[in-house]
Amino acid sequence: MHLLSRSKWPAFVGLAPAFLIYILFAIVPILISFYYSVMRWDGFTEMEFVGLANFQEALTDPIFWQSLKNNLYVVGASVFGQIPIALFIALLLNRKIKGGKFFRTVGFMPVVISTVIISLVWGMMYNSRIGLFNQLLESIGLESLTQNWLGDPKWSMISVCITIIWQFVGLYLIIFLAALQNIPEEIYEAARIDGASGLKQTFYITLPMMWDSIIVAVILCISGSLRTFDLIYVMTSGGPGHSTEVMAMYMFEQTFSSTRYGYGSALSLFIFFFSLALVYLSTRILRRKSV
Amino acid sequence: MAETAYRKQTNVNYQDSRLKARKVSKKTLIYILLLMYALMNAYPILWMVLNSFKSNTEFAENPISFPATWLFENYKTAWETARLDTYFLNSIIVSVIAVAVTVLAGALASYFLSRFAYKWGKYMYAFFVFGMLIPIHATLVPMFLLMKNLGLLNTHAGLILPYIAFNLPITIFILVSFMKAFPKDIEESAIMDGCGVFRIFWSIILPMTKPALATVVILNFINNWNEFSFALVLINEDALKTLPLGLANFAGQYTTNYGAQMAGLTLAIIPTIIIYMILEEHLVKGMTAGAVKG
Repeated sequence: MHLLSRSKWPAFVGLAPAFLIYILFAIVPILISFYYSVMRWDGFTEMEFVGLANFQEALTDPIFWQSLKNNLYVVGASVFGQIPIALFIALLLNRKIKGGKFFRTVGFMPVVISTVIISLVWGMMYNSRIGLFNQLLESIGLESLTQNWLGDPKWSMISVCITIIWQFVGLYLIIFLAALQNIPEEIYEAARIDGASGLKQTFYITLPMMWDSIIVAVILCISGSLRTFDLIYVMTSGGPGHSTEVMAMYMFEQTFSSTRYGYGSALSLFIFFFSLALVYLSTRILRRKSV
Repeated sequence: MAETAYRKQTNVNYQDSRLKARKVSKKTLIYILLLMYALMNAYPILWMVLNSFKSNTEFAENPISFPATWLFENYKTAWETARLDTYFLNSIIVSVIAVAVTVLAGALASYFLSRFAYKWGKYMYAFFVFGMLIPIHATLVPMFLLMKNLGLLNTHAGLILPYIAFNLPITIFILVSFMKAFPKDIEESAIMDGCGVFRIFWSIILPMTKPALATVVILNFINNWNEFSFALVLINEDALKTLPLGLANFAGQYTTNYGAQMAGLTLAIIPTIIIYMILEEHLVKGMTAGAVKG
């Protein structure tokens, strides 16, 4: 097709730097995971081949199941918390109002702030003695509702999820705003002539027209939630009593605190395949819907 | 007659003003909702900044409003004990080098993947983009051992290399889709003028790719600047810690001095907020382009 296609060596030279780094530091580690996952190894003594024992152990490990359950809890809270709120705010912002840019800027801000900082600030807000929430409740005379937000297993997961929802609403808000801007104005004009009211327009035109973006947002939301680690690590380290343990956190503990490299690798692979399966599943759904 | 006309007119006026009133009240409601959302977004940060000026006792008594006396002591403590300057410097070194290499190597690879019709090009592209599906936590264990064997634990390079590797997929994904849209005869005329492949890349393709490059630079920078997991596993020497890691560490040491903790966090967050405000427009454009296509 191209005059340039005749010579091949420049392509090899051009692709080499990216390819080498990518292979060495992204692909090779995943492959090594497979090797370690069939070993029992504490990092010091001799490695021992144990076959699929690590995987078997994971499947019967109640804490691993607990962490998987908590991961799915985060996924659910994110999908049903972030997406509807973001959609609602995006619909409000899509009107011709003054200060739209201001709300957009403030809305996206939490997304760019480092998760570690967010976790530390929210951790202090949840503090049972001097935290914002308990002080607020006390100041309006609702002492009875004060909680040990992060220290009580009944509340810890809810508290963590509220922070996660807060952190990422802005991301989906921006995606939805972009989708809304792509809907041609003429459609609304035609609808107005036919006498469709504002709410009807929203349900029969706007939402169907941005359905693809909503599904993309859901996929991003699912795969993002499965990777939750920093926030849990800083806020609760998985506690109290494994009540906020997620898969990545448990894997980290098993590997680096209990120095069980083999078992940690097996857990890593579970996370990897679980993510792949979920992304595959969601793209399947996406394809069916967009036809 | 005149009276009925007048009545009709006032009636119309009345209905008109009622409609207007309804419109105004609807707008007010929208503004109230949006302001509530903005407040909910900004308040945690504001709360942190305000309380960074309070003593521990004042913070305990009065955690919500403005400080009675503005205490700058906390900032002194934070700056002196948190080693923020060291962490800043480490974060800048690691982020800048990783971004520069990722974007340059990524752009070069994207050029060959998008502008040439090699048979294996398609597979190569798919292979790169597949990287977006690898959760980085699944690679922490082998990465730690790999870096240990390479002698790169506790070095800047030990962080920079994985940052490059894990940012290449999204970089190539965005750049390839951008470069593909260029018209096909761009290179042909350059060849007639005697340009080589790399000359074309450097003097023609790269300048044309500027808008996408800006997006990719910003995305990469945010990713690297805020990255935590690799830093946690690959760095344990205090002098080499990046900002997120250093902050987590600092907060762990000063669990009871809330004022100093919040002063440290405020100092750490200022550059992010400034850069964000400057680049907001660009960042949002890039985010939407990447996300909607993805």
